[in-house]
Amino acid sequence: MYKLTGVTKLYQKGRRTVPAVRDLDLVIEDGEWLAVQGRTGHGKSTLLNLLGGLDRPTEGTIELDGTGLGALRDAQLTRLRAQKIGFIFQTFNLIPTLSATENVEAALIPLAIGHSARCRRVAAALESVGLADRAGHLPTELSGGQQQRAAIARALVKEPRVLLADEPTGNLDEDTRDDIIGLLEHLWRERGLTLVLITHDTSIARRAQRVGVMNDGRLQVISPR
Amino acid sequence: MFFVTYLRRELRRRMRQAIFIALGLALGIGLVVTVAAASAGVAKAQSKVLSALYGVGTDVTVTGQVSQPPAAGPPKGVGEIGKGANGPEFCVVGGKCTSAAGKTQNEMNSLDSGMSQSKVAEVARLRGVAAAAGGITLSDSTVSFPKSGAFTPQMGGYTLDGVDTGHTALGPLSAATVASGHSFIAADAEAHVAVVDSGYAASHGLRADSALTIDGIKFTVIGIVRQAQAGNPPDLYIPLKVAQDLPLQAGSLKNDVNTIYVTAASAAGIPAVTREISSLLPGAEVTSASALAGEVTGSVTSAAKLANDLGRWLAVLVLIAAFAVACLLTMAAVARRVAEFGTLKALGWRTRRIVAQVLGESAAMGVAGAAAGVGLGFAGAAIITGVAPKVSATVGANTVPGASDANLHLIGGSPVQTVAVGLHPSVTVGVIVLAVILAVAGGLLAGSAGSWRIARLRPADALSRVA
Repeated sequence: MYKLTGVTKLYQKGRRTVPAVRDLDLVIEDGEWLAVQGRTGHGKSTLLNLLGGLDRPTEGTIELDGTGLGALRDAQLTRLRAQKIGFIFQTFNLIPTLSATENVEAALIPLAIGHSARCRRVAAALESVGLADRAGHLPTELSGGQQQRAAIARALVKEPRVLLADEPTGNLDEDTRDDIIGLLEHLWRERGLTLVLITHDTSIARRAQRVGVMNDGRLQVISPR
Repeated sequence: MFFVTYLRRELRRRMRQAIFIALGLALGIGLVVTVAAASAGVAKAQSKVLSALYGVGTDVTVTGQVSQPPAAGPPKGVGEIGKGANGPEFCVVGGKCTSAAGKTQNEMNSLDSGMSQSKVAEVARLRGVAAAAGGITLSDSTVSFPKSGAFTPQMGGYTLDGVDTGHTALGPLSAATVASGHSFIAADAEAHVAVVDSGYAASHGLRADSALTIDGIKFTVIGIVRQAQAGNPPDLYIPLKVAQDLPLQAGSLKNDVNTIYVTAASAAGIPAVTREISSLLPGAEVTSASALAGEVTGSVTSAAKLANDLGRWLAVLVLIAAFAVACLLTMAAVARRVAEFGTLKALGWRTRRIVAQVLGESAAMGVAGAAAGVGLGFAGAAIITGVAPKVSATVGANTVPGASDANLHLIGGSPVQTVAVGLHPSVTVGVIVLAVILAVAGGLLAGSAGSWRIARLRPADALSRVA
């Protein structure tokens, strides 16, 4: 469970201080799907970075399962990300020189899992996203939808508690978008994941349990369940 | 292994850049190897000259003081060549002059003053001395003038070494190989026998068993030897005892030697041995092998300076430039891969793991640079061997005060011996190891520059580069 209390994140742009997130209080329950909408530059990605421990709040606290992320050292945050949090990006962020299999395997490297166990888990992850037959292909040899599937497999292979998706369908066509969201929904239900998904697409946001809108750094949850 | 797979793929993706960095390092390393090889070649050429002069096993050479005429002029009684009103003249300093037209004058001289032979045994007993042998180095000079009375002297002569037949492993003869006949045995100590340099023998029609006259005394040639001509080795060798009895133009070397060849028990002990001998023989000139190298002059010295000064600095500059280019390119590559590293950090990769990956890539480029650099070094050494002209080495140069121009020569004065020496650069294992260390260090330096940037990278900032 995430618990955010009075979270503010300020950025310095030259002499100006820009608030990306302002005084945010939020609780995200285990297994919940929260969709976050909002215009570009209103703090959606900053919120996701704060939830993922990729950034630290200027003020306030963020707790994940009772652990305050702000109090953790960089190495502890890194370990937390490796074990508990999966990321999915709009631009897929696959490593271009590695095959789909190797990209997925990269997520297991920090967990120091043995080679044979890694291979088994990678194969199962690729199978679960329907990419077993493209396992040996480089990202450039995969379509956008296939690349995002590989990225989803990479996020899920370590069996995280939380999945943070930053506009995962932003670079995909409509049909592929539906496939990917269908896949994410399926995996969310099947694995009981906590899913925070940023999207501009209202039809996708509607499938979430709760929808929040970021506006000028403030989050307004508009469809509480 | 994931590390290797990732490394290999990344280098393949940045093939051109990797090759460029490796070639830059290779150029620097190649230059270092070439310069080191050239230096080794020059050192070898110097050592070749010296071993021919002083023998292969000699660490320290002791000579009596060089016979120098006083500043006021040559001593009385010494023969001079003068240019008189009616042509060339043989003069005796302080005596009368006679016409030299159509005449030949022959004189045997010692270039160095003598030391008592008993000193050889004393030197041999010094701490740190493994062996010592005495010798005599003499020079025979012949000057002839045409009957016409023109001042156009024909110079001739030979150099001669008196060899301790009980210690033939020391001294110039030790560097020679017998071409025919045989060398001295201990029993030859008082025999009128000679060993002759093959070049001298060929030019004078001598072979084993030939008869030979030295300073008016008959000798039998017992052997012909081949010697490296680099150091202008002696033309003739005769037993030491017999050499001591030869009549000289000035003075006598009866029971004396003018050179002592010394082998130290260990290389580390040479400085101490040198000091001890200097204290035992205060008037003598004590020269270690390394100091002897300084006595070799000529273009071999210029080559040494070229390799050691210009070559070394050029190699250092190119190496620095190669390191700088490698650092800049690696930092640029890291800048292009910021999003990739951000993604890895988001996946939970620790910074040091990412740094290790980048360092691994840089080290691999360094190893490739080392391999290519060593290859370039060998090629550079081969090119020097192929195109470099022979360098000249001048040894035994003694200036003669008072003999200021052609008008006045001291008969038997030391001739300047200039010989051509081949330059053969050689790449040693030590140089190859140094090259590999330098190249890998260069690669790691470049990797460190990139790693510094990675370590400072905040994951959110890195990911924002693509978001």
